[in-house]
Amino acid sequence: MLVSLLWFEKSLYDLIKGLRSHRTAEDDYIQSSLRECRAEVKSQDMDKKATALLKLVYLEMFGYDMSWASFHVLEVMSSSKYLLKRAGYLGAVQSFRTDTEILMLATNLLKKDLASPGVPNISLPLITLPNIITPSLAMSLVSDVLSRISHTHAVVRKKAIVCLYRLALVYPEALNVAWPKIKDRLMDEDEDNSVTTAAINVVCELGWRRPHDLLPLAPRLFDLLVDGGNNWMAIKVIKLFATLTPLEPRLVRKLLRPLTNIIRTTSAMSLLYECINGIIQGGILDGDGAVDETTEIASLCVGKLRGMIVTDSDPNLKYVALLSFNRIAGSYPRLVSMHQDVILGCLEDADVSIRLQALDLVSQVVTSETLVPFVNQLINQLDDEHQVFSDEYEADEGDMCTESGMSPKQYSVLHTGSSFLPKDYSIEVLHRILDICSYKNYSNLLDFEWYVGVLLRLVKLVPTSSRGNSCFPSWQGRNQGNIGHRIVSEIRNVSVRVKEVRSEATTAAECLILTKEDTVFPGVTATGADVLGPLAWVVGEFAQHLRSPRETLLSLMEIANTPNSAHAVPLSIQAILKIFVRTILAEDVPWDTQGRGEATILLTRITRFLEALTVHPDLDVQERAIEFLEVTRLAVDSIQSESHAADEIPFLLSSIIPGMFRGLELNPVAASAQRKVPLPDNLSLDEAFKKDLPGLFSSRHSRPKKPRIQSFTEDFYYLQGTPTSVEQSSPGDFGYEICSSPSYQNHTMRDIDGVAALTLKKAERREQYRDDPFYIDSENGAGNLNSIGPDVHGVDLDSIPIVNLGLEETGNYHKTPAGRSNPKAPRRKTKKYDIMSDEMIGQDDPTDLEDFNQTRKARSSLLQVDSSGLGQLPLGNDRRFSPSSHDPTRIGDDAEMAKAMQEVERMRLQMQRASERVHLEGFPAEGTLVKKKRGG
Amino acid sequence: MINAVLVFNNNGEPRLTKFYTQIDTQAKKELIGQIYDLVSRRPPTACNFLPLPPMLSRGAMSTVELGPSDAPTQVIYRTYATLSFIMIATSTESPLALIDLIQVFVESLDRMFENVCELDLIFGFESMHAVLAEMIIGGVVLETNTEKIVASVRSQEGPAAKRSIHTAGASMGRGGLPGLGGWR
Repeated sequence: MLVSLLWFEKSLYDLIKGLRSHRTAEDDYIQSSLRECRAEVKSQDMDKKATALLKLVYLEMFGYDMSWASFHVLEVMSSSKYLLKRAGYLGAVQSFRTDTEILMLATNLLKKDLASPGVPNISLPLITLPNIITPSLAMSLVSDVLSRISHTHAVVRKKAIVCLYRLALVYPEALNVAWPKIKDRLMDEDEDNSVTTAAINVVCELGWRRPHDLLPLAPRLFDLLVDGGNNWMAIKVIKLFATLTPLEPRLVRKLLRPLTNIIRTTSAMSLLYECINGIIQGGILDGDGAVDETTEIASLCVGKLRGMIVTDSDPNLKYVALLSFNRIAGSYPRLVSMHQDVILGCLEDADVSIRLQALDLVSQVVTSETLVPFVNQLINQLDDEHQVFSDEYEADEGDMCTESGMSPKQYSVLHTGSSFLPKDYSIEVLHRILDICSYKNYSNLLDFEWYVGVLLRLVKLVPTSSRGNSCFPSWQGRNQGNIGHRIVSEIRNVSVRVKEVRSEATTAAECLILTKEDTVFPGVTATGADVLGPLAWVVGEFAQHLRSPRETLLSLMEIANTPNSAHAVPLSIQAILKIFVRTILAEDVPWDTQGRGEATILLTRITRFLEALTVHPDLDVQERAIEFLEVTRLAVDSIQSESHAADEIPFLLSSIIPGMFRGLELNPVAASAQRKVPLPDNLSLDEAFKKDLPGLFSSRHSRPKKPRIQSFTEDFYYLQGTPTSVEQSSPGDFGYEICSSPSYQNHTMRDIDGVAALTLKKAERREQYRDDPFYIDSENGAGNLNSIGPDVHGVDLDSIPIVNLGLEETGNYHKTPAGRSNPKAPRRKTKKYDIMSDEMIGQDDPTDLEDFNQTRKARSSLLQVDSSGLGQLPLGNDRRFSPSSHDPTRIGDDAEMAKAMQEVERMRLQMQRASERVHLEGFPAEGTLVKKKRGG
Repeated sequence: MINAVLVFNNNGEPRLTKFYTQIDTQAKKELIGQIYDLVSRRPPTACNFLPLPPMLSRGAMSTVELGPSDAPTQVIYRTYATLSFIMIATSTESPLALIDLIQVFVESLDRMFENVCELDLIFGFESMHAVLAEMIIGGVVLETNTEKIVASVRSQEGPAAKRSIHTAGASMGRGGLPGLGGWR
């Protein structure tokens, strides 16, 4: 044995040494080594085989696939020498997959090794099984592993317990038989300490899946906690209790004393931390008044946590303390906000992990009072960071921005010596600022003018080349869309939702467009397209607030022509015409010869711009360009024609073209509103429109019959639809009037006339919009959209169930603490803003949101071990079956098993032959290279 | 539970990869790369907690708000001389205890190899796997007592366990891993 050991050590040693000496041509060296391994692993000499295998395992670590060698792994596993066997098992752990076919051949070997007399030999399958287990393998091995749980050696017992847990994960029925045995091990007070700890660890994993089964164990767990004398175990026991206390409130009183005792006395920080955590998570602080000491405990915990941040220089303690604060903040924001000073201090910490935790925390406890200073602090932090890199961008901030009441730049260089922050962090901070400000439809935000200023500052803080996603955990699926886009979308949001700052927001957008974005958006030019879209929409839609529409128009055309902005072109086309209309209709521009001349010049430029787009590869752009091109040509004609008075704007320009863009004000609509539109009963999405589709094509020469379904839609759009208000009113008198007073939730709210007037107005409006399919009536449930089908068919409207599918845009990020429901009455008297909320059919209903979350959660994480199977299994203690039980099904199983084994043996031979054949036919012997070059 | 244990050196070359779930070689390599990227950017004074690398943050939700789940939520690392030890775990593990667990691992290796250094672990990577197998099985912590761990591995390998690597050349250095002082 010693000889062989030395021999294969040398050869692995050679490989490693070779790797080091072939730094430059490493890949070639590895390829040739893999070729050697391929030959060696087929050798009859078991030592040689094992060596080759070890080398393969070593190379697998660097990303070279070894799944092709699974048969040889099995061969080495069956070696009689322990060290070779161990190498084989190691190969299995590292390379076997559930779909490795060889696995079924291993069953007998595993059974044999499990029953072997030596402890090391038994250990090998026990430590390997968790990594390679499949349901069928688990089924055939569960009894073998189970019997090891009462082995004389503690080492074997504890391994068997853990192994059984992993068996049960893929084959939940195993838990039925294993659970009583594991429980026995746990309850046995004379059991070896290691075994008890292992059992506790397993139970802790089971705990959150099946807390009810663990309740009977509580007394024993309590004993282990009090006099276990093992910190590792105590930590786990506390974690277990945290899942149990919500089920059994009586435990709280019992636990309180030992836990506070530990908190006061222990010197082990990990145990202290878990105690505090257990108290928080177990809901012990909730108390229900049953425990008088709650407040005392709470302040003890929070005090200890504060101590971990303040006094200990250890960054780990700081981090976990913040983690705990984060947990508390959900239910006791008041407790946390008392310690805001230390938390804000952590925002300045050099360590990014700590900063992020603090950031999380502050965004949870921020209130309308603390929002402004907090955001200012964050921005200043970014500012300082930013200045180091790019002073040149600071220089020109258009005068317009400062005019329009943007907040002046206030640099308070708090931490000039701040270390370099990663770009990801800056992006995360930007996201977080937006999160905080827009939280719950801006309910914490009191000063929107300030906010618009902040947004403009943020734009400049977007780090360069922020193309990629943040590498920090994304909270609300935020990695869709980059930060630049998010900021300008905020500008758009504010301009739509808050009328009072609409003009400021529009000016901000204008300002960004005028400065040509490559200077303003140093970081996002690469993705400028995302940025231009919302801006173009804002300046177009709210063109009446523009300060210099002409310049904006020209600038917009210029930007839209850059290749980066391709996606924003459709929006820009629309905006351009809107702004043009505004330049014509502005009161301060008289329609004289000069005015006409300017209009003509503008129109010519627009025409040229649109002409270029008529051959745009994007069909959407093409279509819009052609449509608007015709309109502008008509406009040019109308100016030049002599048919009207010289000082009168042509009718086409004064009314018809503006009429294209006027109508109902666009209100924000909840993202899920579309999904809430109930399906008409008679709509069948599964049914084919036309059963005989090929027949339809073949008979296309015959006169096409109009499908019935089309007539419905036609009826709806062309016959039934009453004209909208635009068409009802005479041209000329609806323009700004409609724009300024359509809101049904803003201005009317402030009417002193009271409720009567309000309802009257509402009723009027409802009447007016009754048949407008785009008007969502919040009171009438689904509103008119329902009427699409039913009205035509004479179905009773009320009979259609209104499905509540609420989904609020604010998402899941903040679990709203009950005590913090938005103090809407601003104590610090600032301007009162009305913020439009999303329009929604029916009521907001969180269930839909949960559904949504669940589908998101269903995408499992990469390393996740699925334990969901354990949750459903009924643990009937009465239904134990022992391997020796002689029920008829069992006998049937045996016969089946024997058959399966024969099949397995046949396949084994087949595969062996196949592998030999491969060798003979001289297949390329290289290992499959998974990735070309290894790192470093 | 613990989802993975990784060891790599300052250049990102893996020295041990143990995943308690089955993922393919390519994904392993990519994940190691991402974690190395995170670790290498951290100053020595920083705390031992890493943000989730992009591959793991997909599909994982915040630990704070949701209760326990099967998805890994914490990545803990600790650096000793040239080597970084990483553990990826779900929320059922205690963060501070995981740091301790890394310490136990390194102490056990130190005991096994007598003043351990990176070179020992390269050439003794089988023993390193054996040590880890005594500590963690299938992602569940099995043993935290250094004595028992080392005794168990020794009983498997026999007295000849300590191998001679002095010929390995001075270029790699035999510095041992500092910072083995107790944590708790």
